[in-house]
Amino acid sequence: MDYTNQIREIAARLFSENKIDVFVGYRMTGFDENQVPVLIRDPKEVPRLVFNDKSVFNLTNYLKHEHTRGKRVGLVVKGCDSRSLQLLLTESQVKRDRLYVVGIACEGVVDDAGQKYQNCQECVFPDAVVFDEMLGTPKGNGQYQVNADIRELASKDLVERRAYFEEVFENCIRCNACRHSCPMCYCAKCCIDQESSTLYNGANTTSAAFHALMTWSLHLAGRCVDCRNCEKACPSHLPLHLLHKWNEQVIYENFQEHLAGVHEGDRGAFYKYSLQDPDDFIM
Amino acid sequence: MARVGVFVCFCGANIADFVDVPAVVEEAKRIREVKFAIHYKYMCSDPGQQQIRDAIVQHRLTSIVVAACSPRMHEKTFRKALSDAGMNPYLLEVANIREHSSWVHQKDKKAATEKAADLVRMAVAKSIANEQLHEISVPVTKRALVIGGGIAGIQAALDIADARIPVVLVEKSPSIGGKMAQLDETFPTLDCSQCILTPKMVDVASHPYIELIPYSEVIELDGFVGNYKAKIRKKASYVNFKTCTGCGACWQKCPVKVPNEYNMGLDKRKAIYTPFPQAVPNKPVIDATHCTMLLKGKCGICSKVCEKGSIDYTMKDEIIEREIGAVVVATGYDLWDPKPYEEYGVGRFKDIITSLEFERMVSANGPTNGVPVRPSDGKVPKNVVFIKCIGSRDEAKGIEYCSKICCMYTTKHTILLHHKVPGSHSYVFYMDIRAAGKGYEEFVKKAQVDTAATYLRGRVSKIYKKGDKLMVRGEDAQIGQVVEVEADMVVLATAVIPNKDNPDLARLLGVSYDKYGYMSEAHPKLRPVETAKAGIFLAGCTQAPKDIPDTVSQASACAAKVCGLFSGDTMKKDPMISTVNNEYCSGCQNCVKVCPYGAIVTEEVPMGHGSKEMRTVAKINEGVCQGCGSCVAICRSMAITLAGFTDPQIINEIVSI
Repeated sequence: MDYTNQIREIAARLFSENKIDVFVGYRMTGFDENQVPVLIRDPKEVPRLVFNDKSVFNLTNYLKHEHTRGKRVGLVVKGCDSRSLQLLLTESQVKRDRLYVVGIACEGVVDDAGQKYQNCQECVFPDAVVFDEMLGTPKGNGQYQVNADIRELASKDLVERRAYFEEVFENCIRCNACRHSCPMCYCAKCCIDQESSTLYNGANTTSAAFHALMTWSLHLAGRCVDCRNCEKACPSHLPLHLLHKWNEQVIYENFQEHLAGVHEGDRGAFYKYSLQDPDDFIM
Repeated sequence: MARVGVFVCFCGANIADFVDVPAVVEEAKRIREVKFAIHYKYMCSDPGQQQIRDAIVQHRLTSIVVAACSPRMHEKTFRKALSDAGMNPYLLEVANIREHSSWVHQKDKKAATEKAADLVRMAVAKSIANEQLHEISVPVTKRALVIGGGIAGIQAALDIADARIPVVLVEKSPSIGGKMAQLDETFPTLDCSQCILTPKMVDVASHPYIELIPYSEVIELDGFVGNYKAKIRKKASYVNFKTCTGCGACWQKCPVKVPNEYNMGLDKRKAIYTPFPQAVPNKPVIDATHCTMLLKGKCGICSKVCEKGSIDYTMKDEIIEREIGAVVVATGYDLWDPKPYEEYGVGRFKDIITSLEFERMVSANGPTNGVPVRPSDGKVPKNVVFIKCIGSRDEAKGIEYCSKICCMYTTKHTILLHHKVPGSHSYVFYMDIRAAGKGYEEFVKKAQVDTAATYLRGRVSKIYKKGDKLMVRGEDAQIGQVVEVEADMVVLATAVIPNKDNPDLARLLGVSYDKYGYMSEAHPKLRPVETAKAGIFLAGCTQAPKDIPDTVSQASACAAKVCGLFSGDTMKKDPMISTVNNEYCSGCQNCVKVCPYGAIVTEEVPMGHGSKEMRTVAKINEGVCQGCGSCVAICRSMAITLAGFTDPQIINEIVSI
């Protein structure tokens, strides 16, 4: 999967046709094989753009960047990224007419060892669901399967699970990189940072981290698209995907097989009511 | 430093028998902020309230906790006591130690006392974070909407309009009148239904304060008490009512014949029709599902014969809006379809009819000019069997409740048969005779003597055909034997069921309804005409089966409620409503989606101070907001607060126990 040339062509064309102010893509880090996001505002810099199976990050996170807000933006999205974009559109965070979306029929991205990431192996929607232009051949949707990690987690009882997470979250340094890297965390001021929120005090204790991460995961329940930006950003290498995958699985099973960002206008299980909703877990 | 006063009520024996009230007071005194705590036999009584007022002044209290019954009962009473003592009434917290403790834990006094003490602790903690709030006043639109133009709707509309309040009366069918217009004579006085109803119908049409919108349906209701906005769909009638004179040339010439709903399908009407001769408004409408001009584009006879040129085949449904302050729902009833009574041969034997079909037959303007006839051969029946409780009081096939009116109208039918068919005889199979009402029992007794009808207490098990007669086999429980009656015709007193559109309408209006589909009143005894949604009232069979006198009384009661609501120019509203902190709002509009009252809209605000770039934030219409808190719960940014239930208040409550 290498669309470097196509993306350079598209970006150059968009700039020459004056359709965009900024193009969000990937560039090489310059010191290793990895890539980092880049915001191209000058057409001369278009040749810096690359795209291949090392283009791991979800670029929709950059739609809340000060250089893209309110601007006309060109953007590269893989399958999972496009679902974030769909949700951002649904939640009125970006305007569709200001975007030019280059969708990728993604074949999965790889880590440093050349291994496909776990979420790419289990990917249900590899093709971009929102796009103006599609690169690659669409493969069609896969079948949702419960993640092996979640199956293992579910085999534990409540006490064990809590003990496990308390142990894991002990390593959280509350840097909030997970939040900053998440495309769906766009609040003007996060509830965790608000002065009045005595519950999530700034203390760097396990209980405060536990509380903050749990709140965060619930705010993303039914909205997380499993792009794993958070996990890649976490300096403590916390298995943050467990929180999201757990919620995803619960919602998938209980709320009409809902998966985030697949359908236009679908805000997720928390925000709609259906007579088919189960109520057996409500006391 | 907060200074809280705690007032614990005995509620006579209601609380004191199951909760150790003095112990609760002692517990309350141990809380640091509580500067004053007492108990009293009836806190809601005047001396009880006086103690609160005195304590506020003497002990310089900053908030008050009353531990008593549900705030639904006396929150207003105690708030008033606070304002009388010069304190902001919203500094009151009520700890419900009756419904939430003494009544539900009658077997364990110790646990009930502990729970009561906990509830008091929570209320004290919450009250410390209470803020001074002020009532909001919202303007009232003094116009009422009445949905349904049966006798209930007509009566409510007339009574409201007589108080010089404009009324919008929306009726689904082409004419008002409802079920009562189909009746012949009415129990227990046997006065002619049409004769007492049609003058009222004409009054509605001519009343200067009533806007009659026939052949229309309410499709949307937005807003809140005093300020509703209703969307009404005027169905296309294909007749211009402004120019139509109601001459009748069109329906006389129309070639299409359709079963007549007004006569229960016993005869035919035309595709362009007025439902019945006394219809109000007396203008025809075209039934689009049968008119060949509208279906196939051929015919057009009515248009040719109409001298005024009132026929307009291109007419479309029209949506109109009305601003209103209150709604009276009077959608009436339907009759239960007796098909499940297969053993009676319902559907197979033509001479088994329902009571409303019988009513149409004996009616002077009915399909048979007032003489009951057998649908099979047109002969006048001599022996008629009436079977009551068809569907009513039948858990297996129908519904559990008693339809209330069948005993009386069946009695009436025996009299009508006796009058119209000399030498006829009525047999009545019944379970009980329920004749509670003024003059009802006397009516039944007199009818039994006058008509000499045979009353058989028991259920019918089977009806079968023998020649052209129907053999009705049932039990006479009083002699304990199976009896068989040879009948020319059988009349089934089918159960009253709610209007089939009730659940949809209830959801549209935002009021609750029961398992049968009747809309629910706010309180079965003390608030029988109000719904739980302020400004929406119920009249007639919308709420439960009723006879005409009860329906009319309830309709007038609705009118009194509407007039009371509209007695002032503005309405006071509790200040427990949500507010948005623009700084925190991210504009995701989830609150807009979850708000059940449509109280949240969006507005554009500058991105930052002095910035030209705009961003979208939520904005709450304080008149519409009912303070349910859905938006607060859904807001991830915690940008919304609900006055009276702020985060500090709730967290205080949680932390206190």
